[in-house]
Amino acid sequence: MKIAKLFIAGLALAGLTAAASAGTLDEITKRGELRVAVQTQGPPFSLVGAAGERTGSSVELAELMAKEMGVKITFLDFDWDGLIPALLSGKADLLVADMTPTLARGMKVAFTRPYMYTGSTVFTKAGTAFKSTEDCKAKGTKIAVLLGATGEKEAKAAFPDADIKSYKGGGPLLLDAVNNGQADCGVNDVSAVKGQSTAYPAGSFTIMPDMLSKEPLAFATRYDEQDLLTWMNLFLDQVSLDGRLQKNLDYWVNSDDWKKDH
Amino acid sequence: MLENFSFRTIVEYLPLFGQGLVTTVWLSALSFAGALAVGIVLAAMNLQRGRLFRVPAKAYIDAVRATPLLAQLYFLYFGLPRLGLILPEFVVGILALSLNSGAYVAEIIRAGILSIPRGQVEAGVASGMTYVQRMRLVILPQAFKVTIPPLLGQAIVLVKDSALLSLISVAELTRAGQLLASDRFMPAEGFITIAAFYLLLYYGLKGLAALSGRWLGLAGART
Amino acid sequence: MIWQQLQSIAGSYPLALRGLGMTVVLSLISLVLGTLLGFGLGILRTGGNRLISGAIGAWVDLIRGTPFLVQIFLIFFILPELGIELDAFTAGIIALTNLAACFICEIVVAGIRSVPTGQVEAALASGLSRWQRMRQVVLPQAMRIVLPPLVGQYVLLIKDSSVVSAIGLTDLTRVGWLVVQRVPNGLLVFFLVGLGYFIVCYPLIMLARRLEQRMGAAHGEVQL
Repeated sequence: MKIAKLFIAGLALAGLTAAASAGTLDEITKRGELRVAVQTQGPPFSLVGAAGERTGSSVELAELMAKEMGVKITFLDFDWDGLIPALLSGKADLLVADMTPTLARGMKVAFTRPYMYTGSTVFTKAGTAFKSTEDCKAKGTKIAVLLGATGEKEAKAAFPDADIKSYKGGGPLLLDAVNNGQADCGVNDVSAVKGQSTAYPAGSFTIMPDMLSKEPLAFATRYDEQDLLTWMNLFLDQVSLDGRLQKNLDYWVNSDDWKKDH
Repeated sequence: MLENFSFRTIVEYLPLFGQGLVTTVWLSALSFAGALAVGIVLAAMNLQRGRLFRVPAKAYIDAVRATPLLAQLYFLYFGLPRLGLILPEFVVGILALSLNSGAYVAEIIRAGILSIPRGQVEAGVASGMTYVQRMRLVILPQAFKVTIPPLLGQAIVLVKDSALLSLISVAELTRAGQLLASDRFMPAEGFITIAAFYLLLYYGLKGLAALSGRWLGLAGART
Repeated sequence: MIWQQLQSIAGSYPLALRGLGMTVVLSLISLVLGTLLGFGLGILRTGGNRLISGAIGAWVDLIRGTPFLVQIFLIFFILPELGIELDAFTAGIIALTNLAACFICEIVVAGIRSVPTGQVEAALASGLSRWQRMRQVVLPQAMRIVLPPLVGQYVLLIKDSSVVSAIGLTDLTRVGWLVVQRVPNGLLVFFLVGLGYFIVCYPLIMLARRLEQRMGAAHGEVQL
């Protein structure tokens, strides 16, 4: 009798695992919901607008994805350093942000092909003694970076003598720190810095023309969601071809147009 | 993540955890000293008979006790720069902790002083002592005995509260755990390790409380 | 400038309301669940069973000895590893309920132990079962000791709920954190946040004080 029970249990288990490997896309369709991890406050890619609505470049692209899939979308927001752990722990199906597909991150999560290119830059408060990247190399300079971002590692490499301060949260905190003098210089993606500096009076910051690095930006999902990854790459190809991606980037990233509406 | 719990990475990051632990300890110590200072001043103000000092002291204590420490921390962190005060994060942290715990310390001191039986005070008066002498020779020594256990309890609370400083980028113990999560994507290893370190501090302080209870001759003193 | 900022903040009024609502809902649910669980744990802890008592004691010590922030991180990021899928709200409720229950457990234990053993023995002699003893003799008298710190614990719970903002829950503190990045006036924004908490907490603090006075006056009277 016991063996029979074990046998049935074994079959059931096999059935379950078979169902589990049915594919993420099927699961998402069955669930009717796409769960997306985004950054809480990282304009222009993901932000909470004045009326409390969640919007931004990556957010709109994710909404487009859900629409094409035919499911509704649920956003889960995290601090920058919480995005990958959230994806890995299964809270979200995918992650959309202005994240660079580094080799270290690639060991944990699967990245799509890049949807745009940007680079890390240095910024300082206008009118201070820090007028160039060289100035920031001085010993003891306080450099603000984002916890868990590529800027953190780049700053450590580019400014070995400086005092690197990692802020937990999002890009706007770096601008805040530089603006009120808690840091002398900041390092972050130029697209993020430009988009976030619009919250301050024009000309508050000096953004250095020279970039510390060139970086692609991509979305990410888990390695056990290969079908979702393939679909996302297909999606990016499509929206590149039909111009929707460019329209999105032109509105959010390449200009300040979005500021008027949000 | 849990299946491959990496002890090797924890050992690799041990220096960082050690640094974080040390930072937490001296941050808490400084904040506690600050809290004592603030608390003594507030308690003194609160025990005055006149309204001039009592009312603002009570208002301050009530305001602090009815609002969360995190909100107070953010208030100082985001607010002080507007007043032109650019302070390093850890200073803001110590300030917030001192001002917050100070309110609780004030109440502990007040309760301690008020717990002295009236008979003692009257005996002091009958012996011809002045207010200051009464305070110094009768009330404060006894109040001291009574307040040590709850004060150590508040110290324990302070150490736990110091974890919030990680949210304003102070490189203390909790931040070390966060780094393990963000650098190596190992939140389990990071947070379980720092929990262990905090427990170390907790039992250490509790031991101190028990020792001091026995030393001060308080039978069955518990925090 | 201030007027402009106030207007900007006023524009976030719906967001602020949501944040306040989240804080209230979180606190209320954890309060109710935590009280139930806390009483249960407290009663079990004073039971005779050494194993259960010890286990509960160890767990309570664990929760009282570690920062709530660390507990929240652990619950949110680690539990899913054990197969329990959690969104931020559920994680927050679990963490807060657990915290409340542990502290309430200790309060209840102190209350139960304060009831004179004479009462307990009299109840035993009258043939009451353990459950009846608890319900009709011990707990009603313990409540005198339990009620003031219990209400005090509720205040602590509401304040501790602000820590769940660290895992991204949009409570009142998180709303302040979001708004201050758009309206860079920390003094104004967090003054308003503090005001929000004050309005919710202060009545409870007054209640706890009133209860303490009333119970303190009645304390020591044991009717036999």
